[in-house]
Amino acid sequence: MEHYDILIIGGGVAGIAAAKAAGGARVLLAESRPQLGGVLLQCAHHGFGKDKSGTEYAAELLQDFPEEITLALNTTVLSVSENRTALLSGRGFGRKRIGFSRLILATGCREIPMGALPIAGTRPKGVYTAGQMQELMNLHGFVPEGPAVILGSGDLGLIMARQLAQAGIDVTLVEKKDSCGGMTRNRRCLEEYPIRLLCSDTIREVRGYPHITGCVTASGECLPCKTLLIAAGMVPERELVSHLGNPDWLHICGNCCAVHPMVEAVANEGKQAGIAATEKLGGAL
Amino acid sequence: MKHVDAAVIGGGILGCFTARNLRQWSISTLLIEKEDDVCREISKANSAIVYAGYDNKPGSLKAEMTVRGNANMEKLCAELEVPFDRCGSMMVSFGEKGEQTLRKKLEQGRANGVPGLELLTGEEARAREPMLSENVTAALYSSTTGTVNPWQLGIAAYENALQNGCEAWLGTAVTAITREEEGYRIDTDREPIRCKYIINCAGMYADWVQAMVHPVPVELILNGSDYIVLDSRARKPRHILFQERENGKGLTVVPCVEGNLLLDSPARPLGQPWAVSAGGLEKIHALAPQLLPELELEMTIRSFGAVRPNPRSADGKNLPDYCIETPAPDFLSFIGIKTPGLTCADELGRYAAETCAEYLHAEKAPAFDPRRRAIPAMKEDPDWYEIVCRCGNVTKGQIREAIARGALTVDAVKRRVGSGMGRCQGSRCTLKIEKLLEEYRHGAL
Repeated sequence: MEHYDILIIGGGVAGIAAAKAAGGARVLLAESRPQLGGVLLQCAHHGFGKDKSGTEYAAELLQDFPEEITLALNTTVLSVSENRTALLSGRGFGRKRIGFSRLILATGCREIPMGALPIAGTRPKGVYTAGQMQELMNLHGFVPEGPAVILGSGDLGLIMARQLAQAGIDVTLVEKKDSCGGMTRNRRCLEEYPIRLLCSDTIREVRGYPHITGCVTASGECLPCKTLLIAAGMVPERELVSHLGNPDWLHICGNCCAVHPMVEAVANEGKQAGIAATEKLGGAL
Repeated sequence: MKHVDAAVIGGGILGCFTARNLRQWSISTLLIEKEDDVCREISKANSAIVYAGYDNKPGSLKAEMTVRGNANMEKLCAELEVPFDRCGSMMVSFGEKGEQTLRKKLEQGRANGVPGLELLTGEEARAREPMLSENVTAALYSSTTGTVNPWQLGIAAYENALQNGCEAWLGTAVTAITREEEGYRIDTDREPIRCKYIINCAGMYADWVQAMVHPVPVELILNGSDYIVLDSRARKPRHILFQERENGKGLTVVPCVEGNLLLDSPARPLGQPWAVSAGGLEKIHALAPQLLPELELEMTIRSFGAVRPNPRSADGKNLPDYCIETPAPDFLSFIGIKTPGLTCADELGRYAAETCAEYLHAEKAPAFDPRRRAIPAMKEDPDWYEIVCRCGNVTKGQIREAIARGALTVDAVKRRVGSGMGRCQGSRCTLKIEKLLEEYRHGAL
């Protein structure tokens, strides 16, 4: 069985930063996508680092990526065991178990899908998570049909509201709280574009089949739409290690630890995890 | 003009098993389904339960077939390589009135020859099912109740029918049926068909199909029901649970073979077909804590609505048994077969095939092979190392195999390999699967 000093799971901001900080150790970085960069690759908007786009920030982050790190791209970690082994599966990698001394979990977060919400009605086409739409638009050139409704006015909801409005699509944001969420700079789209914001409300029912035709809010308003984006929040992706308790050899960093609004915080946590993991290896190096 | 011996109208689980059973005879068979895949609609939205047979009146066809269908399920699932879990069930009650119902069901079950029934006190029930509420006063335990994935079983029967020479026209709607001198002419939105025998398995449209050529003495009433699915990480009971309430049946809880927990609300008036009712979701949220106080409803990953057809007599009474119509010696209709439909799909299919074989004086087909191979979990091949659905660890190889076996849509792939059924509900794999479908179509052109 191959053995590594450090196994890093996830090649987004946190995983890249961790790998860069883990100097001198024998590191394997597993990333399920074909390239490093994680969610940054689908972020065309600015606001990363000193107002760079996500892709620009990723390129910068990867500039001095250490060559000695073993990369397993297109490779998913299926399970992690208490005996410090992990089962990996990937196109080029094959399916095999490897051993490690320390584990850095940098798996990021996932979006809450519509299915998890108490929404009645049909289950039509035209419903996406906000991040899924971001990927479709920015990596695949897809333009959804309007009008669009976005459930949730957090940062991702606002970023997508801006992007849809820029594409000339009529957007309504529905927010459960009594005021718009998100950072000030993301809220600015509400002044710059004719985006409607409904606060203290939520979506109770979805209508239309096979394609969505509208949503009904809790206050009873019917919002005709051809696209519904769910931006109802993110969940840290920790299922791989949830059975392990809190072993000394496990470092959890970035959005799989807690969802961070700022990329710098994620990068910093990744870096700290990389340093800590290397230090704890101690005499093993 | 297409010529066949038997035409099966409707490719739900019942149509699939009817077709499979027909191919055990020397009867040329064509399955006609209006949707682009088999096992949609009623066959894809139900409780996934293999019933024991204590719910049905002694002497009824339902009782007889359920007991037999249940007993045969291991063999059937082994032949078709479909996972089956005989997890057992408890029907629980919360007081004297409910206990009377349990005792009645116990007697009925014994009269039907159902093995493995036991009446338990609340404490005994909690010892076997620690998640049960303190308020449960009694339970009817049934060791033979189990669960199987309904569409996996139906699709397996379909694939096996095709292997054995059945033909299928999917995405084909029947537009008219006309009586011919011998047999029938079926007009479709494709080529017309001439057949000697029709088996009508059209589910919620079965009355309408029969009415194209024969009178229908029953009325089909449609009811609705709502379901919630919990993530596989959520705490779950070991048994299937039925909640017996003073005012009728409450919640049904099913620990599915995939590891998810399925919660089914009591039946309601139909409303919009296939839509989830807000009232149904609220009801599940209200009833679930009464039965299982530690249930983690916050781990919900999906909710869906179901349609249940109920045949009624002309004077508005619910029929106590299966409604199997034979308006002519060469026409058999299953009208609104509902619970237990999954349990008895093979039994009912065999019944139809034997009836048809007798009419056609058909011989047994000696070459019939009952074995169907499931899509394997692993192969030594790069496609089978590449994970496409991260929640379910479904590989590109499995998805390509599903497509090669006839899946035309993301939904059809999902029902063959379980992609998109996990906690992200396909938000990360749908696009990749669409691309694989497109690649296949492109290659096939």
